Amino acid sequence: MKKIIVFISMLLVLVSLTACAPKEAEQVVITFKQNKPEIDDALQAYAKAYEAATGVKVNAVSCGGGSCTLGDMLKADYAAGEMPDIFPIDGPDSYKQWEAIIADLSGEDWVDETSVEYVVDGKVVGFPVAVEGWGMAYNADLLAKAGIDPKTLTNYAAYMDAFVKLDGMKAELGIDSVVSMTAGPGMYWVTAHHNFNSLLSNGLEYNDLTVANNILAGNIDDTRLNEYADWVDLLFKYADKTVLTTGNYDSQVGAFLNQKAVFLHQGNWVDGNLTDATFKMAFAPHGSSTSDTDGIFVSAPAWYVVNKDSKNYQAALDFLNALVYSDLGQKYMVEDAGMIPAFGNISLQPKGQLSQSVQAWTAEGKVYSWNQYLFAGEFRDNVLGPIYDQLAQGAVTADEFKALLKTALMEAK
Amino acid sequence: MNDKTKTKTSSISKDKKIEKLVFWLFLAPALFSFLMVQIIPFMIGIYYSFTNWSATAQISIDFVGMKNYFDAFQDPSFLYATIITSIYTFMNIILVNIIAFSLALLVTSNLKGKNIYRAGFFLPNIIGGIILGYIWQFIFNQFVPKLAAAVGFTYLSENLMLGNSNTAILALVIVSTWQYAGYIMMIYVAALQNVPKDLLEAAQIDGASAWQRFRNVTIPLVAPAFTVTLFLTLVNSFKQFDVNASLTNGGPSTMFMGKAIKGTTLLAMNINDTSIISLNTAQAQAKAIVFFLVLVTFSLIQVYVSKKREVEL
Repeated sequence: MKKIIVFISMLLVLVSLTACAPKEAEQVVITFKQNKPEIDDALQAYAKAYEAATGVKVNAVSCGGGSCTLGDMLKADYAAGEMPDIFPIDGPDSYKQWEAIIADLSGEDWVDETSVEYVVDGKVVGFPVAVEGWGMAYNADLLAKAGIDPKTLTNYAAYMDAFVKLDGMKAELGIDSVVSMTAGPGMYWVTAHHNFNSLLSNGLEYNDLTVANNILAGNIDDTRLNEYADWVDLLFKYADKTVLTTGNYDSQVGAFLNQKAVFLHQGNWVDGNLTDATFKMAFAPHGSSTSDTDGIFVSAPAWYVVNKDSKNYQAALDFLNALVYSDLGQKYMVEDAGMIPAFGNISLQPKGQLSQSVQAWTAEGKVYSWNQYLFAGEFRDNVLGPIYDQLAQGAVTADEFKALLKTALMEAK
Repeated sequence: MNDKTKTKTSSISKDKKIEKLVFWLFLAPALFSFLMVQIIPFMIGIYYSFTNWSATAQISIDFVGMKNYFDAFQDPSFLYATIITSIYTFMNIILVNIIAFSLALLVTSNLKGKNIYRAGFFLPNIIGGIILGYIWQFIFNQFVPKLAAAVGFTYLSENLMLGNSNTAILALVIVSTWQYAGYIMMIYVAALQNVPKDLLEAAQIDGASAWQRFRNVTIPLVAPAFTVTLFLTLVNSFKQFDVNASLTNGGPSTMFMGKAIKGTTLLAMNINDTSIISLNTAQAQAKAIVFFLVLVTFSLIQVYVSKKREVEL
């Protein structure tokens, strides 16, 4: 009796094992990983539509935000021999990590349609995910009420005057603070990544890296640094202390959405969080200089790269091409995912007010590049971030902040 | 032993052999998984800590000797994390055990509805650390300042607990005590209920006061529980990560050795940062090995010392 039971159970195990094996003819499946969890719904719908149209199954995975770290996921995938066919990189740090398996895409058609592709040594390797921009997002209604013309906000003095005026009208405007800014733990990307870029690129030609390269070479322009540090001090002084020192993304954007702050130090990706907004808004330039800097910071936030060892290499290239050239792909990128397209042949427009503002600045050619990526992520997160945090807490004075910043930059690699 | 059993020795030894085989067969699945998911990865980890392993696409993994260990010890953030973790662990052990033991005394006394209290005190332990961190973030940022303002305690309404690294560490201790005290309490409850009533009565008849009974009968008899709870709190405080990540995220910053540095980054989080932010996976691995050795040393000393205080009935 026992033997029979053992025999039957072994048989069952065998049957269940063979049941797992694929039966039908091999369908082409590409794995696509990306780091914007907010567009996952749109992406999944697009993957289904793409499979219906082309027969290629897209296994799309979103990993990002607070709950998932794409870098970790990719390492695990790599160790398991399941590296995705398409995945994003966000700058030199992640490019170097995967350099050995990233394909050269110089021959692709879409290269001619964009100006923000990722180029290494003359080779195009990255497909721009979208165009993003940040500046000082402002509540146009509140500014109009206070009688301030946003067009004048192009330098430090203009911002200083505007902040003082708005601060004096707090009760009248119903605001808690002038600026919604964060510098606390977990938000170092706002200060040490985005704000820091004002020092490196504000007022310069697009892709002019002289200031950044000079800092890396140990030549710091004291005037520029001091003007920049004053700008940081001004932003912090007129920010709500709770949001500034302990706030997270939600509390920062929430203050702007609920009209508790006139300015928001963020980029156009907040559009998704501001769909309930009842007021008009747009971007104004940063005032990190005493001279006029009439433009905002615009670039591609990440680039899709193709795994050159992929079994479905051609299918992966076709997938990227379809994003640029098919109606389905264009509609997904712009209308469903709400991204600003990085390609000239796409005429669709995103719905978000701030995204439209980024497009308007780009159309006028008033844009400055993102040069902060020349500095390692470790330097920005572990060295610069805590320094901004010290000023935000009021633990150091503006002068001490300047000194700390300078010492750190001298040691920057 | 009589003659009858002697003749049976051969069949007994055969039975023993089968018994042994069955024993190992039953053990095999557990042993196999233990080997695969614990021992082997641990060995690989030790190996990686001596190499330039990056966990990404790299041409070859080269042996670099003790470099990762030397670099780790020269990293001020690692030094700071070690100090702050020790302080945190010390405060946590004391606070968790005092509160847990007091609660245990409370819920083993003749209190009405003590089962409800037991469940209530234990409940926070069931909530995940990440969620707990976010809940308490809200309490510290929104509720505490408003409450402090309402009762006129201006220091707390003007200075946020999470806005300064010293008070943020305190906030971490408060939250982990709130989470962990209920669990430790259960262990004390079990120990207190096992104290024989007759010993307490005998002491009472001999004229011992309530304090003397507690000090000289109850405490020595629950000493084994202290060994366990001190061990658990020590290890758990040392390994703290989830509440750390969600409540303070390693910040706010503080000044250490002339540099601004994240002020509440405990060891586990420092190791995580080394791997995720600094992208230095091999050094993170070396730090993890050091962390393991420190933890083993501390817990062995603690268990040895606590064991000496236990009494056998």
